[in-house]
Amino acid sequence: MANPLEIIKKKRAEAINSIMSKGYLSKKRVYVGMATCEIAAGSKDVMDVFKSAIANGLTDVYLSQKGCAGRCNLEPTVEVIEEGKIPVKYCKVNKDMAKDIIEYHIKKGEVIKDWIIK
Amino acid sequence: MIRYVITLCDGPSCMQKKSKELQEIIEKQLDNLGVRQKVQINLSGCLGMCAKGPVMVINPGYTIYGNISEKDVPEIIESHIVKKKPLAKFIVDQDHLFNRFYRVFGDVNFFGKQMRIVLRNCGIIDPENINDYLSVRGYEALAKVLTDMSPKDIIAEIKKSGLRGRGGAGFPTGFKWELAASEESLEKYIICNADEGDPGAFMDRSTIEGDPHTVIEGMIIGAYAVGAKKGIIYIRAEYPLAIKRLEKAINDARQHKFLGDDILGTKFCFDIEIRLGAGAFVCGEETALIHSIEGSRGMPRPRPPFPSVSGLFDKPTVINNVETLANIPVIILDGAKWFSSIGTEKSKGTKVFALAGKINNTGLVEVPMGTTLRQIIYDIGGGIPNNKKFKAVQTGGPSGGCLPEIYLDTKIDYESLLAAGSIMGSGGMIVIDEDSCMVNIARFFLEFTQNESCGKCTPCREGTKRMFEILTRITQGKGKEGDIEKLERLGNMIKKSSLCGLGQSAPNPVLSTIKNFREEYIEHINYKKCRAGQCQGLFNFEINEKCIGCGVCKKVCPNQAIFASPKSKYQIIQDKCIKCGLCFKVCKFNAINKILKEVNLWKRN
Repeated sequence: MANPLEIIKKKRAEAINSIMSKGYLSKKRVYVGMATCEIAAGSKDVMDVFKSAIANGLTDVYLSQKGCAGRCNLEPTVEVIEEGKIPVKYCKVNKDMAKDIIEYHIKKGEVIKDWIIK
Repeated sequence: MIRYVITLCDGPSCMQKKSKELQEIIEKQLDNLGVRQKVQINLSGCLGMCAKGPVMVINPGYTIYGNISEKDVPEIIESHIVKKKPLAKFIVDQDHLFNRFYRVFGDVNFFGKQMRIVLRNCGIIDPENINDYLSVRGYEALAKVLTDMSPKDIIAEIKKSGLRGRGGAGFPTGFKWELAASEESLEKYIICNADEGDPGAFMDRSTIEGDPHTVIEGMIIGAYAVGAKKGIIYIRAEYPLAIKRLEKAINDARQHKFLGDDILGTKFCFDIEIRLGAGAFVCGEETALIHSIEGSRGMPRPRPPFPSVSGLFDKPTVINNVETLANIPVIILDGAKWFSSIGTEKSKGTKVFALAGKINNTGLVEVPMGTTLRQIIYDIGGGIPNNKKFKAVQTGGPSGGCLPEIYLDTKIDYESLLAAGSIMGSGGMIVIDEDSCMVNIARFFLEFTQNESCGKCTPCREGTKRMFEILTRITQGKGKEGDIEKLERLGNMIKKSSLCGLGQSAPNPVLSTIKNFREEYIEHINYKKCRAGQCQGLFNFEINEKCIGCGVCKKVCPNQAIFASPKSKYQIIQDKCIKCGLCFKVCKFNAINKILKEVNLWKRN
């Protein structure tokens, strides 16, 4: 019988594999804040925009929710992470901004600097 | 375009080892190599790697360089940033649990100055996916204790770490566990207190919503240490999303064999149940909480016997706060020695604060103990908006006190805040600027505790009510001489004679504002003046000559206190005015003045 540490090692490897298989290694990873506070600020709408974009054929993006990072006055927040680059953190995102983020940042690679948390 | 962010640790230990001087050398080298535009340099708070200082982190990639000296810097910069090859010989290869958020948030000032242990995964991982938690070494601490630590070892480790209860009172966690572990009983319980009731505090909700598994893991380790077979998470029903995520997390953990019978193939059995609180503030007090879980009315009882001897259903019970439990996995994996190197002599580790009130960056911050109030409010919080003057900071919610400017350099830990006349509490921090009236604030907090008093003991039930009446009278401009002394006498009496923590701390906001802002009370009582213009009985609205007679104010007035005689400006009937301020808000022509009353009693005589 394997000891607990060995079991957990295996579980961790399985977990990482499962995340990878969902497309974690995609070019861009998008995280939308989904805690009570962020949902109250409107992050559900933003999440829906990203979800429907992926349903409508946006590829090579890994979409995930996340908890509250603690920036109450700037919520909802959206992070776009690319391997090897400084993660881009957008604040006070609404539906229309989310569409622009998809159009400019995710499709064309142009970071929208005005909306970044300083 | 910034491609790299260099974060230099500016904690006290690294600063001694010249981290500030390194910054200049780095900048010089960046200029020499012509890559200055690509790199942003940040100074951070303590990164918790004091033994390896000075420490420098380069993102993206989260490469940590330790023990660097002036002459190493050019080599590192050239190799990492120009040749894009991290320089292996200075890299600190430690898979620490904390500060992972640096990979994502390291370049933002608000985050860069913090040190995150409890909130380490909040805002980084998907809270509803156990795989996300497993991939960041989740449940490894549990596996470690089940593999090669006995319950005694765990308790010794937690004691060594110096971790103290984060619920407010600061009782040493290891000692609490030891007391419960030494009781001989077939049944024992561990309870997680997530009944967060302080107005303005929401760190427990955020922790559970952002990273529920870490609380569960902490609880399982605690249960193993004290020998409990059953755990209960007591959470307020007002947190539906947190409850939903906890339920999902518990089910996922059961499927992975972290909960239930024979955990991870060992003989250890433990399971967790969620109980919802109906939102009474007093149920955060441990004996009232136990009564509430048992199905009785949530009322405290005298201690001893303490819950660790006779708690839930008269069995030995450990009650820990959410934040306390979230610290446990980190202490087990990164070690008590490392944990106890953070913080002050008597308070170890970090503390989460919920910043609110008149401050630019509201939100959750986690800082090492020993950080000063000034650093939190100005460096992380970004100062007071609209160039207003800082007046006070209220810590500890309705049980705490208000600290004026002279205490800004107080280092935060349990003892020093207590000495300053406030408490650590659960970590609410409300910043007050010159536009707020201290008497009114004291009244607000007392109104809360007075409403929430369970009514069991007389001092708390009757005393807070009387104090509230006196304060209301003062804010209405009907204060009498001797009121301050009466408040002080009553307050001290309630503190001494109440049964539980609620009553013992309820007068704190009043007593601390009297101590630090006595002159405002005197102004209210003797001169009927409220310098902030907040107390409704102490100012009038009047319409001045700028009035053009548009009549908007008349329309919004809920009490028909505004009238106009033909061909003249509008007027306010003072006897009818209820001081709601609606007319003041809607007037576009600045035609309404708010006039503070000031009666000079000496002149009148």
